[in-house]
Amino acid sequence: MSTTQDSMDIRYTGEKGPLFNLAFKTGLLTVVTLGIYRFWQKTRIRKYIWSSVDAGGDTFEYTGTGIEKLLGFLIAVVFLAIYIGIIQMVLFYAGLSVMVDPQRASPQEMIAQTIALYITFFAVLPFILYAVYRARRYKMARTRWRGIRFGMEKGAWGFVWRAMGYGFLAVITLGILTPLQTFRLEKYQADRSYYGSARFTQTGKWTELYPAMKHMLIGIGILVLSFALIGGGAVSENVGLIGFGGFAAFVGYVWVIIGGIHYGVQSFAYLTANKVLGDDIHFTAAPRTGFVIKTYIVGGLLVGLLASVAFGIVGTIAAAFIPLLQNGGGMIAFGIVMAVGYVVALVLTQALSLILITQPILAHYIEKLEIVNADGLNRIAQREAETGVDAEGFADALDIGGAI
Amino acid sequence: MQKTEAHFFNGLTAGRHEVHVALSDDRQAMIITGDTLPEPLRWSLMDLRALHDTSHKDRLTLTRHADTGDEAPRDPARLVLHDPELIAWMHRTRPGLFRTDLHKGTWRKVFLYSGGALVAAGLMLFVILPAMANTLALIIPVEREIAFGKVVVSQMERVLGRTEKKSLSCENLAGRAALTTMLTRLTENQEMEYQISAQVFDHGMVNAFAAPGGQVVILRGLLDNAQGPDEVAGVLAHEIGHVESRDATRHALRTAGSAGLLSMLIGDFTGGTAIALVGEHLMTAAYTRDAEAAADLFALDMLQAANVDAAGFARFFDEMDGLKGIEIPAYLSTHPVTAERAEQARGFAQSQSGTRPILNDAEWQALRNICR
Ligand SMILES: [Zn+2]
Repeated sequence: MSTTQDSMDIRYTGEKGPLFNLAFKTGLLTVVTLGIYRFWQKTRIRKYIWSSVDAGGDTFEYTGTGIEKLLGFLIAVVFLAIYIGIIQMVLFYAGLSVMVDPQRASPQEMIAQTIALYITFFAVLPFILYAVYRARRYKMARTRWRGIRFGMEKGAWGFVWRAMGYGFLAVITLGILTPLQTFRLEKYQADRSYYGSARFTQTGKWTELYPAMKHMLIGIGILVLSFALIGGGAVSENVGLIGFGGFAAFVGYVWVIIGGIHYGVQSFAYLTANKVLGDDIHFTAAPRTGFVIKTYIVGGLLVGLLASVAFGIVGTIAAAFIPLLQNGGGMIAFGIVMAVGYVVALVLTQALSLILITQPILAHYIEKLEIVNADGLNRIAQREAETGVDAEGFADALDIGGAI
Repeated sequence: MQKTEAHFFNGLTAGRHEVHVALSDDRQAMIITGDTLPEPLRWSLMDLRALHDTSHKDRLTLTRHADTGDEAPRDPARLVLHDPELIAWMHRTRPGLFRTDLHKGTWRKVFLYSGGALVAAGLMLFVILPAMANTLALIIPVEREIAFGKVVVSQMERVLGRTEKKSLSCENLAGRAALTTMLTRLTENQEMEYQISAQVFDHGMVNAFAAPGGQVVILRGLLDNAQGPDEVAGVLAHEIGHVESRDATRHALRTAGSAGLLSMLIGDFTGGTAIALVGEHLMTAAYTRDAEAAADLFALDMLQAANVDAAGFARFFDEMDGLKGIEIPAYLSTHPVTAERAEQARGFAQSQSGTRPILNDAEWQALRNICR
């Protein structure tokens, strides 16, 4: 705890072993209870992670409960069951005229059918965005530091319309207006966020996110160039040119992916450094893209390696059962062993990716944060408890929300 | 328990209070004192709870069980202990320290909400979606239904193993002529809503199905198993009954809705799987008992009008029943055969007179060889 006069360090103290044990154990419980325990699993893992974040010697606290998540899920299911069931049938009915056989259809018919299918996606999109906002609001409402609640105002539908509008703008400009989308949506959410009585404000300008987009634009440039090369090679029947174009396309593709990660990391840094809490509490954020990419690659390889060892062991054990397959009982035992082994290996893989990818990246973001003018924090007062949140039930029903 | 240092947060402001904690004289409570506290606080040991599932090794965060409006019944104030001895003492003497408490009535809520979710899903699957499917099936224009039927048949063909090069449809000319003869005999002089077209797929399964818009498909296995053309005519008439009452369309619409609902739980919204499900579902899932009974009655009337002996239809049910012991024929799983249905057909046959075979021997042989 290095609290100087006015700046406060934030540290992450979580470890691999205990988090792995917790994730693996609760993962198995989730399987045994046919998924019901997942609400408690999520709660317990968050409690561990939140309690590992230490700002100036005081740790964060996650106060969400498993039971409220279960209730929120049940509410969301009732609503979505009705909505999705009806919308699906109406769209299916409307889509009958464009239904075609993929193997015998003309391209126009295929396009019409594809559009009909995607209408379903767009019919659910508002709820996905709604769920995104509600999930963030729920996490804020269940986070405390020094006994004081974080919070976020209502406003999910306002978020939905903005997200669809800015998303549309970003798509029709081929991604050029992505910074506008990123900035405005984050500002919408940040400006509605609180720590106790103090409100967050997002300052800064959306155009200042363009430097973070640099590598994405370079990658797109290389891709465009490579297509021109391939096209030119095809016209002049120059195989060397086509080969070079193909190589350039590969480079451009990788560049775009890495550029995308860079944009994610650096736009977070910019947006965090330009947030203000209350009147004068600021933040500095300096996460490094290199670290995040390295963790993805090394962690991903490790998870892949360990997971394949786990699945290999399952296969070996299963092979040992094959001599028993002569009778019917052996067949059933074999099936059970295979299923159990497969599920255990899957839970193991999830727990591994939590400790080898998610946690290190999270820790990096947190360690690179600093609070400036931290003295102002002492004067912040409590805010009302928030009971109306649906405990991210929609996010769970729609299967969004990521690792933690 | 010695007097020891701790951090206290009063749950009202974010300020940190340096405090001392000590056991009260009656050993029933913890007394918290500090320069920044207006007066000493007394926390009853009974009410003490600690945060669980934390990563902390060097601290223990305490709170109190209290009936607040919070997500859990907890006092918002926090007391953070750093003294290892005190932490060990707490673990040793307070077995209920990490207990989870629930607000009153939580279980009732869980029970009610679960019941509500089950009822809503059940209502959707078994009442609302079928009712909607009925309505939509009645208002759908016939051209659309026919186009949809073609897709369904092609989907079935793929499921049954059609390859790029080879269609499953059997094209033997004499066989097709025999099938047309059978169809004409059944449908002539009938008020038909749909133009029925029948075809045979080269597949060993004993099955037949009706697709939306008037297409009936018979699988070769059914022809191989049949003793005579009257049996096939009975089955064909039954499938035409499904066509005329739009059972397949209704079923497809209902499946689309249910698939959408169920895929929400698995997490697929693009509808791609929903469409695929419809095709497979049409083949594997049974129509309702009422739809079957209605199609049977329709078939018997049709056979009567065409002067075809319904005994063949009854015999078909008997043969299905005989096959049951060996392997469950696919036809049974899609059209549940009951003894009553066979009996009904038999009884009907006895009342018939002046029947004549639907195909002559040569035509019947041609139909059986339609896939050669
Ligand atoms: Zn039937």
